[in-house]
Amino acid sequence: MRGLRLISFLAGAIIIAACGSTGSGGGASTYAGKVIKLGAILSITGPGGVYGPQSRDGMNLAVKQINAAGGVHGATIKLTINDDASLEPQAAQLAQTLIQGEQDLALLGPTLSNSAVGVHPLAESLKTPILAVSTTGINIVPDCKFPDTTPCKYVFRDSLGEQTAIPDNIQSYTADAHPKTGVLLVAQDDKFSSDGGLIVQNTVGQYGIKLLATIKFSKAEADLSPYVTEAVQMHPDVIFITSLGAIPAKIMTEARNQGWQGQFLGGNGFNTATVSNQAGPSGKGARSASAWYLGNTFPSNAAFVSAYQAAYGHDPDQFAAQGYTGINIIADAASRANLTFSDLAGDRDRLRTAMETVNIQTPLGPFQFTSNHDVKQTVWVIAMDGKGGFTLVHEITAS
Amino acid sequence: MGQQLLNAIFIGSIYALFAVGYTLVFGILDILNLAHSAVFMFGAALTYSLVVNHGQSFWVACVLGVAAAGLMGLVIEHVCLRPLRRRRAPPIAALISTIGLALIIVAAIEQGRPGSFFAWLWVDGANSVSFPAGVVPNPTWHVAGLTLEASKVAIIPISIFLMLVLGYVMRYTQVGRGLRAIAENPTAARLLGLDVDRMISLTLVISSALGGLAGILFGVALGDISPYIGRDNVEVRGLAVIVLGGMGSIPGAVAGGYLLGLIEVLALLVLGSNARAGVAFAALFLMLVLRPQGLFGAQPREKV
Repeated sequence: MRGLRLISFLAGAIIIAACGSTGSGGGASTYAGKVIKLGAILSITGPGGVYGPQSRDGMNLAVKQINAAGGVHGATIKLTINDDASLEPQAAQLAQTLIQGEQDLALLGPTLSNSAVGVHPLAESLKTPILAVSTTGINIVPDCKFPDTTPCKYVFRDSLGEQTAIPDNIQSYTADAHPKTGVLLVAQDDKFSSDGGLIVQNTVGQYGIKLLATIKFSKAEADLSPYVTEAVQMHPDVIFITSLGAIPAKIMTEARNQGWQGQFLGGNGFNTATVSNQAGPSGKGARSASAWYLGNTFPSNAAFVSAYQAAYGHDPDQFAAQGYTGINIIADAASRANLTFSDLAGDRDRLRTAMETVNIQTPLGPFQFTSNHDVKQTVWVIAMDGKGGFTLVHEITAS
Repeated sequence: MGQQLLNAIFIGSIYALFAVGYTLVFGILDILNLAHSAVFMFGAALTYSLVVNHGQSFWVACVLGVAAAGLMGLVIEHVCLRPLRRRRAPPIAALISTIGLALIIVAAIEQGRPGSFFAWLWVDGANSVSFPAGVVPNPTWHVAGLTLEASKVAIIPISIFLMLVLGYVMRYTQVGRGLRAIAENPTAARLLGLDVDRMISLTLVISSALGGLAGILFGVALGDISPYIGRDNVEVRGLAVIVLGGMGSIPGAVAGGYLLGLIEVLALLVLGSNARAGVAFAALFLMLVLRPQGLFGAQPREKV
C-alpha cells in the first residue's frame, strides 16, 4: 500500500511538474480549496464495456495522483463516472444532467462514437468543453454536428482517429511487404466499424492495393465463417478488418483455420490485450496503428504503467492511457485558465481556450491538439505477438 | 460452395439446439421464455469460468455448466412464471417477466470483474473470451478442399442426437405423454392426477439445460463467450427458427434451424453479404404470410 502511494505520488509529481512547466496562470489564492467538477460519460456496461472500465480506471488514477500532489494550484478535482450502458440516448441524457444539473466544468467521453453523435453536439450547443478519450470514428472533431461542417469549438479528442491510424498502418505495411490485393471485412452496423471500412476503401488505392471485395456483415452475426470463407477463397494478400469487440479475433481464428496465411491489418479495434489474447496464435503479426504502446520506456509512460499496475494489479491498455491522459490534459488547461470558480460559463470558455494550447508529456508521448482539436501525437504501429500482447513495429512521429 | 454448405449445417445445428429449448416451453406453456438466451449465455460463461478461473477440467465444467443452466430453469419457473400463473396473469406478463430476468442475468455477468461481488462467476466484464488453446482438443482436417474443425463437426451429431432423444422422450415416455397432456389442456391434466407444476418445472429444467449446452457448444466452436452472445447472436434467430418450423414443434425447430442456416448462406453466395440477414427475415415474413403455422405446426383451431 505504501509502495502504491509512493508510486502514485511520484507519477503525480511528474504530471504536475509537466503541467506547471507549460503555463503560469491561475493564482493559488483563487484556486486553493476550490473544486473542479468533471463528469465522465463512459460505457461501463453494454458492449462498450470492453473499453469503458479501462478508461475509468485510467481517469481515477490520474485524479488520485493529481489530488495527492496538491491538486490544481490547490483546487481538488472531483470526477464522477457515469455509465451510459453503451446507449446513445442515455449518454445524451447524462450529458444534459452533468452540464445543466450538476454544473460540471467539463466532460469526458463518451466511450463509443455512436454515442458521441448525440453527446458532442449537445455539449457544443451548451458551450461546455468535452474531451473524447476513446472515440475514433470520423465526424467527431471538428465537425461534431455533421453534416453541418461548422467546426465545433468545445469538442476535443485525445484518441487517435481512424482517419490517421488506418492510413498510417496501411502505408507502413505497404512499405514493408508491397501487398497487391486485399479484402475488407467490415461490420456495417456501427459507426466506428463502418467509418473504418470507408477509410480503408479510400486509402488502399493510394498504395497500389487492389480491393477485391468489401464484405459487409452485422456485428450481431452468430457465425462469421461464411464471410471468412468468401474472403479466403479470393486468396488476398491482406485481409482488412474494421470491427469491434470479439469480431477481429473470430475472423482471424477462422481464416487461419481455413488455411489462409496472409496479413491482417486493422484499426483501433485490434488495440486491446483482450483481442490479442482471444486471437492467440491466429493473430500473430496482425498489425494496427495505436495511440499507445505498453513497452514504451519514456518517463511519462513508465511512471503511468507502474502506477497503474500498482493500483490495479494488471497492465493498462490504450484506453486506460487515453483516459489518464484526458484528465491530465484538463488539469493542465485548468491550471492555466485563470478560473474564477464563480462564473461557470466564463470558466468553461477559459478552459476551452486553455485546452487549445495544451503541450504536455503523457503516456501517449508528447501531446498537443491540432487546430481542429484532434490529437497530434506519435503513432505506434504494433503487431500482435500471438500470446495476448503486442510488439512495436514502427514509430511514426507527428508531423 | 462445399465449405459454405458445411458452414450452413454447422450454424443450423446451433440454431436448432437453441430453438428446441425455446419451442419446448412454448409448446407446453404457450408462452415465450425470453430468458432462454440468458441461460444460453450463462451455461457458456459458467463453464468457461470453471475451467479458466477455478481450474476444473473441461468435461467436469461442461457437466456443471449444463446442470447449473438446468437449475436456472427452476429459477425461471419459480420467479417468473409460477407466481404469474397463480394470479392467472396473461401470457404477455410472463413474457415481460422473463425479459426482466434475462436482463438481470446479463447484468450480473457483465459486472463480474476481479474483486467484484460476481467474481466467483465471471471476471471478464463485458469482454469476449474464448477457451485457452489446448483446453478443448480441436484438431482441424483439410479434406477435398474443405476445412473440418473437430469442434464444429462434433456439434452436428451432438445436436441431432439430443434432439432425437428429446423427440423420443416426448413421444414415447410417460413424462412426454404427461407434458403433451398439459400442453393440450392443463386443467384436464390436473384433474387426471398429473402434478402440473412439477411437470412444468421439469420442462423448464430440460429446456434450460439444452440452452446451456447450446451455449457451451457455441462458445467452444466459435471462440466467443461474452455476456451478450445470447442476446446479440441467437435470440432473434431462435425466434425466427421456431416461427419457420412451427411454434411448439420440436421437429419444426430442428428443420427451421437448418433451413435458416441454409437460407442465410445461400443469400450470401447468391446476393452478397449485404443481403444475408435481409433474405433470412424475408423468408420468415413470407412464412408468416403464407403458412402462419410454420412448416410443422398444426393449424390453430378456433375454440367455441
